[in-house]
Amino acid sequence: MQMKKTNPPVQSLKVLIISSISAVLLAFFVLIAIVGPAEYAIDPTGIGKALGLTVLAKPVENISKAVVTCPAGDLTSHWQDVVMITLPANSELEYKFYIQEQEEMTYAWSSEGAALYFDFHGEPAGNTTGYFKSYQEATDSQAKGTLLAPFSGVHGWYWKNENLKPVTVTLKTKGKYRIKGLI
Amino acid sequence: MHLIKQFSLNFLLITLIVLLWQSTAAAHGVDANTRQFLLANQGVAIGPFLYIGAKHMVTGYDHLLFLLGVIFFLFNTRDIIRYVSLFTLGHSLTLFFGVLTNVSVNAYLIDAIIGLSIVYKGFDNLGGFQRVFSHQPNTQAAVLIFGLFHGLGLATKLQEFGLPQEDLWKNLLAFNIGVELGQFFALLFILLALNIWRKFNSFYSFSVLTNTLLMSAGLILFGYQMAGFILMV
Repeated sequence: MQMKKTNPPVQSLKVLIISSISAVLLAFFVLIAIVGPAEYAIDPTGIGKALGLTVLAKPVENISKAVVTCPAGDLTSHWQDVVMITLPANSELEYKFYIQEQEEMTYAWSSEGAALYFDFHGEPAGNTTGYFKSYQEATDSQAKGTLLAPFSGVHGWYWKNENLKPVTVTLKTKGKYRIKGLI
Repeated sequence: MHLIKQFSLNFLLITLIVLLWQSTAAAHGVDANTRQFLLANQGVAIGPFLYIGAKHMVTGYDHLLFLLGVIFFLFNTRDIIRYVSLFTLGHSLTLFFGVLTNVSVNAYLIDAIIGLSIVYKGFDNLGGFQRVFSHQPNTQAAVLIFGLFHGLGLATKLQEFGLPQEDLWKNLLAFNIGVELGQFFALLFILLALNIWRKFNSFYSFSVLTNTLLMSAGLILFGYQMAGFILMV
């Protein structure tokens, strides 16, 4: 055993050729049989399908939750933050803010006509019992107002889209808070 | 007894490779939660950017494979520190330069080059350049240059999120420090494993195999990213 080698051992040409060819062959096989099917649904050998890998490559964009910040335009100029949140058909999600006790957050959201069940609520910081206080619970396509936080913690909306189409909620906010975002 | 030890060690290594492999799907770019944070974030957020940087490095198998190749035949601490510092210098330079000047490179192409850097190092560890070209390219320069490419990869990933321009450098610095912390943490584990393995003869008898696998992994990453480039762009 040699412990103090500073340079890598120089392999013979034969070893180099064998190992290079093996590396290429192995890489080629893994790409064709596994990575191609799983990532891009390219499956010339059918091995990916046999292993059930091709399902991974199906686009999942239309069922994933999405949140996009809006560029600040004229409409949004007097708001601090504007987000567009897409709820896929038959899905639910929450969007939350950290707000300190007695701080205010002014808000307005709209789903462009599509009715959503929602629960605007807050959970005290550090609470592990699952307790929450509901501020407004209804089925509607918009709501606006100002929240005076009754306690420090996480405050925000639960939305449920029971429609057959995705619904995009545009939420505008201003006040003293920190965005927690989608949950 | 010795043979059993060797076998179990090799088994461990193979398990590790398989585990690394399985994280492939999630590791390109950033995960969904991070993506949401980056898109919604405004202003300075030191903690989150530190964390994202560290996580990107710890889960970034491409960077880790390259580092494994770099330190594979480095036996003393001074050498390890020197080479890792060069890598750090390289990727920090392009990370800052890329994001601040808004230079963006196609993410697939840059990741393909990062794949090639792994192939290069595997071939280098076999003494390939000395045997085939009778010339050893400067290994320190190579680490620095490939570091520059790795940094461009990091920059490209951050730029996808259109970070707010205000106080950008603070978030960037936090991300960069996070990257270094993650790299340090990951290196500790790689070095620990390497040092244990070096106590056995199997390190030497398997060094050809290991570096062949390293080249192969680099080629797979290269092919994966090039296919993405051709299909998506």
